[in-house]
Amino acid sequence: MSTNYYLPEDNVPLPPKHAEVLTTCCDYCIVACAYKVYRWPIGSGDGGTKANENAFGIEFPSSPLEDWVAPAQHNVVMYKNIPHNVVITPNKDTTTVNTNGDSSMRGGLIAQKCYNPKTPTRDRLTTPLVRIFGTLQPVPWDFALDIAAEVAKHVIAKHGANAYSMKTYSYQFIENTYAVTKFALRHINTASFTFHDTPSDVTSTPGFRDAGFDNFGPSYDDWSSAEVLMCCGTDPYETKTILFTQHIMKGIQKGMKMIMINPRETAGVAYVKKMGGLHLDLFPGTDTVLLGAIARIIVENGWEDKEWIKNWVNNQWESNSGFGQGTRNTPWQWRTTWGKFQTKGFEDYKKWLLSQPEYELEAAAELTGVDVAKIKRAAEWIAKPKEDGTRPKTSFGIEKGFYWSNNTGNTNAISSLATICGAGGRDGQVVGRFGGHQRGGRRGGGLPRNKSPEKVPGRRRRALDTDRWLISGHTRFAHVVGTTWIQAMSGSQGLQQKFQELVVNNPNQVRSYDKQEIINSLKARADSGGMVVINQDIYLRNPIGAQFADIIFPAATWGEEDFMRANGERRLRLYQKFYDAPGDARPDWWIIAQLAKKMGFDGFDWQNSNDVAEESSRFSRGGRKAFHMVKVYAHKHGRTLHEQLRLLGADGIQGPTFINDKGELKGTKRLHNTEMTPEMVKEHYGKNGPGGANMVNKKMTHFNTQTGKINLQRHPWSLFSDFWTWMKPKNEELWFSNGRINEVWQSGFDDVQRRPYITQRWPENFLELHPDDAKIRGIESGDYVMIYSDRVAAHKDTILGVGGDDFQFSKLMENGHIELSKAAVTAVAIVTPHIKKGVMYAMFIDMRQPTNALSARVVDQISGNYNYKMGVAKVKKLGESKYKTEFRSMSFAPRNIA
Amino acid sequence: MITNQESAIEHGKCMLNRREFLLYSGAATAATSTITLFQGTAQAQEARVVAYPRRLIARLSDLHDNEPFDFNYPDDGKNSQCMLVKMGIESGGGVGEQKDIVAFSYLCTHQGGPLQSTYKVTDEQRTIGQCPFHLSVYDLRRHGIIVSGQAYQSLPQVMLELEGDNIYAVGMMGLLFGRNQNLIGV
Repeated sequence: MSTNYYLPEDNVPLPPKHAEVLTTCCDYCIVACAYKVYRWPIGSGDGGTKANENAFGIEFPSSPLEDWVAPAQHNVVMYKNIPHNVVITPNKDTTTVNTNGDSSMRGGLIAQKCYNPKTPTRDRLTTPLVRIFGTLQPVPWDFALDIAAEVAKHVIAKHGANAYSMKTYSYQFIENTYAVTKFALRHINTASFTFHDTPSDVTSTPGFRDAGFDNFGPSYDDWSSAEVLMCCGTDPYETKTILFTQHIMKGIQKGMKMIMINPRETAGVAYVKKMGGLHLDLFPGTDTVLLGAIARIIVENGWEDKEWIKNWVNNQWESNSGFGQGTRNTPWQWRTTWGKFQTKGFEDYKKWLLSQPEYELEAAAELTGVDVAKIKRAAEWIAKPKEDGTRPKTSFGIEKGFYWSNNTGNTNAISSLATICGAGGRDGQVVGRFGGHQRGGRRGGGLPRNKSPEKVPGRRRRALDTDRWLISGHTRFAHVVGTTWIQAMSGSQGLQQKFQELVVNNPNQVRSYDKQEIINSLKARADSGGMVVINQDIYLRNPIGAQFADIIFPAATWGEEDFMRANGERRLRLYQKFYDAPGDARPDWWIIAQLAKKMGFDGFDWQNSNDVAEESSRFSRGGRKAFHMVKVYAHKHGRTLHEQLRLLGADGIQGPTFINDKGELKGTKRLHNTEMTPEMVKEHYGKNGPGGANMVNKKMTHFNTQTGKINLQRHPWSLFSDFWTWMKPKNEELWFSNGRINEVWQSGFDDVQRRPYITQRWPENFLELHPDDAKIRGIESGDYVMIYSDRVAAHKDTILGVGGDDFQFSKLMENGHIELSKAAVTAVAIVTPHIKKGVMYAMFIDMRQPTNALSARVVDQISGNYNYKMGVAKVKKLGESKYKTEFRSMSFAPRNIA
Repeated sequence: MITNQESAIEHGKCMLNRREFLLYSGAATAATSTITLFQGTAQAQEARVVAYPRRLIARLSDLHDNEPFDFNYPDDGKNSQCMLVKMGIESGGGVGEQKDIVAFSYLCTHQGGPLQSTYKVTDEQRTIGQCPFHLSVYDLRRHGIIVSGQAYQSLPQVMLELEGDNIYAVGMMGLLFGRNQNLIGV
């Protein structure tokens, strides 16, 4: 496997009896399936096919669903400087998450993530690099860190903390995110800080936040125990596979009816349809209207859950008199300043809903492109009482196709729809996100929001938009940790142009062998209005590392350090180190600590990752994945936090964690557990309630509002409709949306680029196009196409909102804050009926063909998030690709064959 | 375990040719870059090639378009269930006048799910799946590459030779589910 060509192999070594076995979890999607790592020295003998000759203890050939090793699940790594075989296969012992030892193909192939110079991982970053005379050249750690620290100190002193912009992953292990946020927020105290998937540090799901729903309240069990499951903006089969195959699918097989809201019909949707489910194939960005129409049918027929509403929905007094979300300075309070969302309770919501013309059935069908009969059926399924008077148990799950289309409108709409259907914190009736990345965030400091110059109308400042800040020329030092920044944002080609101008086109470049001269050149660049870029990553990414970074710090990652992280049901596990990091690569917490110390900050004297985890634990208290009590329990038993998690193994423990009065460590199945009995409370916290270091807050049994009841909110289409109408395809344009594809994780840094089989499956970005749309453009599967637009909208100014509608799209346009630019991305066409007519779809972040270039760089006016899924473009044929005539790579078969 | 080194090497030469054909043949022309692809690794390739049996599996005259025919390969042991199908359209590794006869393992390479009865014709596409276990679908025109699903590799393709009316299975591309090597007990 020394090339990027996939050559099928027909043999594999089995791990022998003497192989060491370590537990870990997959590094990729939210589900975090449990895996076992079998490790044995090269030349020490491989396992045999008899049960007593191999580490699995089973006979080979094995039977379906038993352990097996695919050739791609074997690798060779260095461990303590000695070459070892590793086999990494799904853990068949786990009773949770990937029960039965199931795996996706992304996780199933994770052995190939390990650094092995004989494989396409050979280009891992192994040493710090400094760009000298235009070339990134290897240097010792101290040399690179000294330069970074000196320039950083200078920028902060001269241009202020906000000139230091930190763009970081939010998820890549608790130890690292704690160190990064402690450094950037507590010590540098910059407001120019955000995570990989948003231009500003804001909630991803404002509607959930304001209603009082935690994003990750439900357990994975919960997703299979409804009678009807409404799934918005994702096919979980493609993007969180095991949540689908081990949980949702089992529910469907027991009779759970599923409703998929999605412009595409991928494998999971096809399966749902085959099993009698419903597919609501809407146009991008119209979810609010669809859900509004469904909600309207429900209230018109009186199908709402009256009992639930009576007990669990805030009335006017509770909502408005300071007991909803509090009187001052909560996100909900300022978001509702203009009276756009809050209601006086159900009757008021109903009155408002019935007054919205867009939510009348015929109008909604027209706008969304979804058949009237299907909308009616959806309303009946989720809310119509049965003949015996009982209600259907309905759960609601959402993900990015939904909340990144009309961020505030959609999340408000689903919160209200779920609430009137009686969903929330009950068996078979839950609301939540399905999830994207794993949950590895632990803040070591708070965002200094009041240092943000951005303000929306009302009383409160808004988190600084780091992209607009950069475009406006205020960012002098960009510190990028484990993200591409550019391609991951919207309207990305315009953003890239600005990086080019500020970094590469600035006359102050490093042309010296002397450290002080190098430092002086970089300071001069910052002082002249340019920007210095430092980048921590495992590979040299283009363009952020390859074209723009002045300094690169090589990071150690999964398997190369002990780390902890939680999944989409708050389940915490230890991801064990099992091999040596390549070269001089170091974990991000270590890199940050060295930089912090050189900048003169205290509190960064950690010796190992457990030290960081233990320091961070107290900040987790009260949070959804609180692990402080795991540490308390560990210390009581003479162990470290990491050792305790290692003992908890593949099943780990679900946060928040507690110690009851019997001294037992307890996890939490479900948040907002409105069915929690006194017996359960006693079992969890002890008969006298929580004691010691236990911290119990209302999210355990109630919702995240002041009263603990739900805020039932309006979801006006008018906040978004001017943008949507402006976006709506004109002339030859089509909707252009983007997202994930099952076979590829994230930007493909591991798989598309470094896994021969995946490289063969997806050698380039693709464009799904409906046959009718393709035909009139003369496009066939396998043709190269140009996807292009001359009206990519970008909000270019950092402004203060004064009037109520200053951030409304049409107003921004009128006031000259929106700039229109061109963008173009090539792809290989796949003509397929599994995409809705009038809509195109591509992978969201192929590095060579970054499709976010075509989505509008205009944030949701309420939340500050991009609506990444919203784009329009024209498409034309460029010629034929080789994939059209060869058989060895790509496939043009539709994804909805069931 | 290679028991007969001589024959393995001899067979290996033949197998390499078959591999080149299978992997790099396009619908239009065969690729010309195959030599360099194997440069420096030829020894390793030969050493790993095992002696697949040449098995008569079907008669061309008995095949009907798009009706799969079941057989076992490379032996009659566990996990050897395979299917042969004349797909009526040129396909990667296909034999016959139309290059449309192909053969594949019936075991999903994800977790060994049975793919029997899931062969489908969709316009010019030929697929197998969804696997009843976890819904994987494979593209039979493209060497069994995954269309959508969770497999760890392509569906193992059985290499075929056509001699008059006889169709022989002569090798296997990819490891069968459940086995650590395709040839056992030799």
